[in-house]
Amino acid sequence: MQQKIIRDILPRVSKPARYSGDELNSIKKDWDFGGVKMLLAFPDVYEVGMSHLGSKILYGLVNEQTHHLLERCFAPWPDMEAIMREEGIPLYSLENFQPIENFNVIGFSLQYELSLTNVLNMLDLGRIPVLTEDREPQHPIVIGGGPVCANPEPFADFFDALVIGDGEEVILEILNLVEGYRGAPRQDILMQLARLEGVYVPSLYKVEYDSEGHYQSIKPLDKETPRRVRRRVVKSLDSAYFPEKPVVPYLSVVHDRAVLEVMRGCQRGCRFCHAGMVYRPVRERALQTLLEQAEAQIRNTGYDELSLVSLSTLDFSQVKPLVFELVQRYGAEGIGVALPSLRVDQFSVELANEVQKVRKTTLTLAPEAGTQRMRDVINKNVSEEQLLEAVSAAFSSGWNALKLYFMIGLPGERDEDLDGIIDLLIKVKQRGDELARRKVEIRASLACFVPKAHTPFQWRPQDSMAELKEKRHYLSRRRLKGIKLSFHDEATTYLEGAIARGDRRMAQVIHRAWQKGCRFDGWSEHFRFSAWMEAFEECGVDPDIYVTRRRSYDEALPWDIIDVGIDKEFLIQEDELADRGVSSGDCRMEGCNDCGVCPSLEVELQIGEGLDAIKG
Amino acid sequence: MRLRVEYRVGPELRFLANLDMIHAMERALRRARIPYALSEGFNPHIRLSLGTVLPVGLWGEREYFDIELATELAEEEFVKRLNTVCPQGLTATRAIAIKPTSPSIMGLVNAASYAFKAVKADAKTRERISTITEQPELVVASRGKKKNRPKDLKPGIFKIEIKSEAQFDIIEAWVSTGEPVNVRFDELADLLSQFGLAPQQLVDVWRSGNYCRVGNKFYTPMEQVKSP
Repeated sequence: MQQKIIRDILPRVSKPARYSGDELNSIKKDWDFGGVKMLLAFPDVYEVGMSHLGSKILYGLVNEQTHHLLERCFAPWPDMEAIMREEGIPLYSLENFQPIENFNVIGFSLQYELSLTNVLNMLDLGRIPVLTEDREPQHPIVIGGGPVCANPEPFADFFDALVIGDGEEVILEILNLVEGYRGAPRQDILMQLARLEGVYVPSLYKVEYDSEGHYQSIKPLDKETPRRVRRRVVKSLDSAYFPEKPVVPYLSVVHDRAVLEVMRGCQRGCRFCHAGMVYRPVRERALQTLLEQAEAQIRNTGYDELSLVSLSTLDFSQVKPLVFELVQRYGAEGIGVALPSLRVDQFSVELANEVQKVRKTTLTLAPEAGTQRMRDVINKNVSEEQLLEAVSAAFSSGWNALKLYFMIGLPGERDEDLDGIIDLLIKVKQRGDELARRKVEIRASLACFVPKAHTPFQWRPQDSMAELKEKRHYLSRRRLKGIKLSFHDEATTYLEGAIARGDRRMAQVIHRAWQKGCRFDGWSEHFRFSAWMEAFEECGVDPDIYVTRRRSYDEALPWDIIDVGIDKEFLIQEDELADRGVSSGDCRMEGCNDCGVCPSLEVELQIGEGLDAIKG
Repeated sequence: MRLRVEYRVGPELRFLANLDMIHAMERALRRARIPYALSEGFNPHIRLSLGTVLPVGLWGEREYFDIELATELAEEEFVKRLNTVCPQGLTATRAIAIKPTSPSIMGLVNAASYAFKAVKADAKTRERISTITEQPELVVASRGKKKNRPKDLKPGIFKIEIKSEAQFDIIEAWVSTGEPVNVRFDELADLLSQFGLAPQQLVDVWRSGNYCRVGNKFYTPMEQVKSP
């Protein structure tokens, strides 16, 4: 098969290097060795999947440290899919070119709601039934993981099991269990998987709806299956596995650089932020550990840039010494440091100045909302003064272009908040005109807010498409010189909202939409909203039940089955504070807010200086 | 100091575009800790020039790049260091020091040879090739910028040789890559097919060399320089 693919198939597709494997540091184990064979499937194109840090961690962990095998597979672009279907080529892994049906376990990385139709398409291209109930004993066990699994119900019908939380904590337990139960009936393996902490096996639960069709409860079918599934967390990130020899793609991928994960979690407590809730608590790596990992990454990859990633890298306690040390060690070789997300303050801009090896092109800041009132509602603790200080620092040190991120459709949003966005942009532009040497260019990206499960806004209605459209028109009515606005698509937002807070009935809609040819829904050129709306219609599911409806605090929520470690009382309290426009502090600076994560997951905050002191 | 390097791009890397190859080479140079010279400015990059652009889909027996080093390094040492870190399929075969004033590879190379490995369908390959060389014109549809426009390859084809193995014929064509006409490998394949060699017979295609052609002589970029 490999020869046919290379000789007859790949010369006919765009970017054939997506499908040929054999990259530097890829690990091709002997196919006939003893361990469990797992496929890591990423439901998007190669360039997106190869940029994903979590996949790099799992790939290295399983292949380097165990006798199991983990191979990769990505969603083929539609041109490749067409040829594969025409020629009868099944979806295959990039290492051993094995059809994916030959693996024991297939794990999908679920990073984005709109990649779900790709999951179905990949299974189908791999000759594996898309529905759990149709799978036979010889089929691989299909699992999923990633942030989207915090509400697993909308895709529960497609997965034999779902991993909740940090994958590297659970993956080896799963592989060892599958190995131990080799030859056992599929149902027995699933029942054993359900007993692992952090693993949800949807088929072992029964879902009930009330007479009005609202979701009522999910209950385990037997006593051995847990009533709720508790999220798994890496307790000490500092001692957790991190790959020293990640695969280096030949193709240019989205994030084409070496990566250090300086910390996991963020406790700024922005009330809209899903990641800020489901990755708690903050766990840092020690400076010394990071410097060692940096050396390994740079020497083993040859990248010219090292990116310091986390949810909020400027909040990493050791960010300044780390950046200075890295610049000093590697600058002369032409190897630079990148800070992907900047905090909105002067310190951040100054630090960015230090490291910016590349030409000063665009600086990105995220004030998220246009008025102080709104920023207090969402708990984005940034003042206009801080923003303008940051902006001034940027313009006076040579930046000429600035990108600002905002959201529209936030809870309780008024016209004045929208006006506030424009006013703020004008002020920023004025600063630029005063301080910069050249004409400045301001770009604002306006995303539409989608309430997510396990956040304080999980009960809130999402703006309808009509409301969002009206807000877009309202904001675009004034032409502003030197300021460009770009908006997210309302239809995409609507669908994302339906999946983000949907229940198990969404699965048939996703299934139907895929049957109608939907895939790559996150790519505007492939997104077919009308097909989705037909799917809702045909399945008798009203998306507004999930999207635009206000839920009450005592309503049962489909994602209650998942215990991410945060107390509902905390979320309610935060939601009520939002109504009153009162902000709350970051627990690492201003004391514990009683979100419940540390005690319920038996984990502690891990902040760097202490870590280095312990290491001596 | 300036080095000219000959390298081989194996079949496993045939799908890399030129930019991918540049990145792969730069990363290998960094892993090898070669004392490369960096350009000035805000965005310093390695002073590397991949002089021959290998078309996507082909592998290359002898490709070339020039690189500038910040400090002296023995030619063999360069090759050895680079090869210890090169990915599977990429191998430096030799390096020579060249004068800072030597013309660039890009300016030097004006011809290339392409090899087509074909399954022997009958004993007529030799005959077909002589027919091709006897034609007054060799017109194919252009695959280049002026897509589908008729293009006469005749003035750009210098010689065609055949090596026969038990089951395969290897047809190697020396062609022009600039003036008077740029002959592409896919246009050559079209030409072979016009004269009875079916595309299904081709099991492999690669570029076997890049040359500086002077009169009837083909010099490699390594020969066409004087050492400093």
